[in-house]
This record gives sequence, C-alpha cells and structure tokens, in this order.
Amino acid sequence: MTNIRIPQTGIQETAHRPTGVFTSQLDSLLRKSASPSRRNLLKWGLVSFGAAMMTGVPKALMAQPMGSMKTLTFNANDLGILNFALLLEELEAAFYPAALGSGKITDAKEMDYLKALGSHEAAHVEFLRTVLGNNVLFQTSDLSLNSQGLNALLTDRAKILNTAVILEDLGVHAYNGAGPSLTNPTYILAAGSIVSVEARHAAGVRALLGRTTTEPENERLVQDTNLQANLNPFKGRAYDELYTPKQVIAAVGSLRILNNPINGSLVA
Amino acid sequence: MKLFFNAIAQLPDHRFSKNVYQQLSHACLQLLASAKVVALILPLLFFSTVFVPPAPAYAQGATLTPRQVVEYALTLEKLEADFYRRAIAATQGGPLAGVPDMAKTVLVAYGQDEAQHVTDLSAVLRSLGGNPDAIAIPANPNYSAILGRDPFANPTDLLLAGQYVEDLGVAAYKGQVQNLLAAGDAGKTVLAGALEIHTVEARHAAGVRYLRQMLLNADVRPWVRNSSEVIYNENRGGSPIPFGSEAFDGYATREEVLALVGPILTTAQAPQPTPSMTPNRPTSNAPRALW
Repeated sequence: MTNIRIPQTGIQETAHRPTGVFTSQLDSLLRKSASPSRRNLLKWGLVSFGAAMMTGVPKALMAQPMGSMKTLTFNANDLGILNFALLLEELEAAFYPAALGSGKITDAKEMDYLKALGSHEAAHVEFLRTVLGNNVLFQTSDLSLNSQGLNALLTDRAKILNTAVILEDLGVHAYNGAGPSLTNPTYILAAGSIVSVEARHAAGVRALLGRTTTEPENERLVQDTNLQANLNPFKGRAYDELYTPKQVIAAVGSLRILNNPINGSLVA
Repeated sequence: MKLFFNAIAQLPDHRFSKNVYQQLSHACLQLLASAKVVALILPLLFFSTVFVPPAPAYAQGATLTPRQVVEYALTLEKLEADFYRRAIAATQGGPLAGVPDMAKTVLVAYGQDEAQHVTDLSAVLRSLGGNPDAIAIPANPNYSAILGRDPFANPTDLLLAGQYVEDLGVAAYKGQVQNLLAAGDAGKTVLAGALEIHTVEARHAAGVRYLRQMLLNADVRPWVRNSSEVIYNENRGGSPIPFGSEAFDGYATREEVLALVGPILTTAQAPQPTPSMTPNRPTSNAPRALW
C-alpha cells in the first residue's frame, strides 16, 4: 500500500517544549468543564508529552518497597496485548467503585452512569481473564494501587468525572493503537467490541460534564508531533488516534494510581 | 421548545423502534443463517488458538479487499454527512427549528466529523486507485426508510433515526476489522483509519443517545442496553465474544448493513412512498460502484 498521509491542520509543536509538564496537562484535564478558561487553554498549548515518555514507569513506585510487588512484563504479541488491555480494564474497574464510594457523586444520573461503567469494566476484566486463561500475567491481587494517588483523583465531583474521561479516552486510544498489532482475528473483533463501549463511556461522561463528546486535539494526552505517524493516517477531532502501548503506559504512570513496575517489549 | 415537547408527547419512540426491529430481525435472520453456522464453531477455534499460532476464525461475512472496505465505508459516510446536512437545514427555520441549541450544536459538530471522514476516505480511495466520485448516493435519499416516516419532521424522530444511523455505523466499521486484518500489510493503513473512525462513530451514537435521554426522557443510555435499541443483530450468539452483554458492542457485516441501507439508497419520491423495510437488493437507482 502506498503511503496515505493526511496533511495535519493542527498547531505544530516544535522544540523547546518545557519538560516535566505532562502532569500539568493532566491537571488541566482534571479541572475541565464546559467552558474552559483561556488560561487553561494556554496551558494546554504549552504541555508536551516528551518528558513523561522518558520515565516509562510510574514515579510513585520508586518510593514503594519493590520486593513484594509484581513486575508486569508485557511482550509484543497477542497475549502481551491482551494482558496489557487487562491492566487498563483492571484500573478502570477499580476506579468506578472507588469513585462511587467517595461520596462525592450524589446526582442520581451520574451515579447510574458510574455504576454501569463499573459493571462494564468488570465484565471486560472477566472476559479478558477467561480468554487469557493460563496466559494471564497477573491476578487482580497482584496489582498494587497507589491509594494516595487514587484518592487525589476522588476529591470532588469534577475531578472524578474528568478522571473517568481521561481513563476512557485513554482506553480508546490504547485499544485503537494495539488493534493493528493483533494477529488473531477473533481478538481484534473482541477488542473492537470493547473499544466502542469505552468510546461510549467517554462520550457519556463528557456529556455529563457538558464537554464535547468527541475529543478535541488540545485535550489529547499525546500531541500530534508525538503520535506515531505510520499508525495514524488521520488526525483531528473526527478521529480517535492510535497511541502506542509505551505512550499509554506513560499516561497511566502520570495518573499515579499504580505502583507495579512495568516493562517488556510491548512497552519498550 | 413548545413544539419540541409537543412532538415528544405525540410520539413515544419505543413503539416504532420495536416495530422496525421486528421487521428487520426477520429479514436479518435469513441473511445470517450461513454466518451462524460459522459462529457455532467459533468457540472451538477460539480456545484452540490460545496456545498455538491462531488459526483464522472469520465470522464477518464476505471477504473484502481494503479498497472495497473503503468504498463501502465512503458510501456510509456520504449518507451520514448528507443526513446531518438535511437535519441541520431543518433546524434553520424548518420543522426542527424548535430543537434546543444543545442538540443543534451536536448536529453541526457530528456533521462536520462525517464530512471530514468523507474527505479523508476519498483521499485514501484515490491512493488505492479508486474513484471516490463514483461512490454516489442519490440526490434525494429515501431517509423515510429508516423509521417508516420522515425523520426530519420532528426532533423525536430525528434523534431516533440519528441513533439508528450512528449505532449502525459503529457496527459496520467493527464488521470490517477482520477483513482489514486479513489483508496483512496492505490493509494496515486502512485498518488504522477505520479504527480511528469506528470509535468516533461510537462517540456520536453515545452523544445522540444522551440527547434522547436528556431532552426526550427516553429510556436509553449512551451504551446499548438492549438489542431492541438497534436495527442490526446486536446479540449475536455462538461467539466467544459475549455480544449479549451491554459491555460488548455487536457488529454487522456488509451484507447486513447494505440490506438495511439499500432502501435509503433509493431515491425518495414525492410524496414519500410507503417505505419498505424489507431488505432487498438496491434497484437501478442505487450506485453501481458497490454491487
């Protein structure tokens, strides 16, 4: 196939981006509402993903005792991808009960949505564990959640719902990014049947917040210049771009909710 | 606004959706007979592939080349873009003038997305040696085929039709991922593009569903809770994938989608003809490129 490159229309980020500000992007996204302030928009324009890419592993775990913690090693094959998807689903499945348990969500419809999302994520976990069988890399109990980091995301309604949006949007980009690397046709169909539900989640929670149901470019955790070109024929609001597993892991790390070290050829 | 809520009171949407679904599901069952045989043996293939290199386990209808997938997708996107254009026109002083701004904003945004898909898929098709201009839809598509009545006559019908169209779009893209994967390297770029579009259609479907819940008090959520909410075969049995669960979206093959879309691709007559929801092969009014 010939190269299909759609001209980028977005602002091109170039060198001299500030480092260490990936968390600033997250902070902005966590405070999102229907009418973002100009200040926040400016802030997004400044953030970059590059610095976070260097860390690879969540910083939080560096302060944790490593001995008893399971390292998650994802290989660059179908089973590695399914295990990687399982990790994301586990994090989502852990987040919603915590969100509901925080007492900060009091609106009946919002509670209804978060309950449904939690049950869907639990169903995804169960499905992936069944598919993986003996090839599952970790049990739920092997995951060490960073309770301090998690609690920081549960301090108020907006933060909770915006975190849900971040997790769901990230899930969409992650599944999309892994799709072309899968080789088993049943796996890619299964991933497809899950990813569109994640997209519905993202849109639903975005709507609860009065945000757009699609994701504007300036809300993406991976900016255009950092997107892997050969994975992304299209870019912009009308598309959910493909993130590499490495990019996804860096984004997960920035949320500071997981302590386990992560490595392996899939995320290298 | 008043007109809007009058329309709601007059048209309980679920009554129609079930009728449409029943008609469609009968027709779909026949089409699916062959697919189901394949689906029955899928679990065996599936679990046998966990420890060995995966054997092909295709359950998604006809094998299409990447170019054929793009031609098919472009047809659907042209229809969707045209659907939103007409919806937006009807909100500008027409019968949909009473639609709340919240919904108008969404219609405009989604219409732009679909138009972008048309533009970009056209470029892809050209790069594959195809001719996007040959993928034509009628000048006046018969959108009454969706609900059995004009979907642009009132907000309730507009959003219900929009939900059907968007949900079907999600299922249609999902129905091609195995074909694109099977094409190997030749299909990788189209696969990536299809995935990029697939979940945006899901966001659209969710957004329209949210509007129906919020504005019309419809018993619906951004996700599919019941197979009667969609016009394709959502709860496909005999698959290792639990499509019957609301946590898993179903797919539709090209044959199934075109059976549903075929009646829309016929030119609307004036006055509106009695819509036929019997899936049938398109008539001479249909674009030739696809069949």
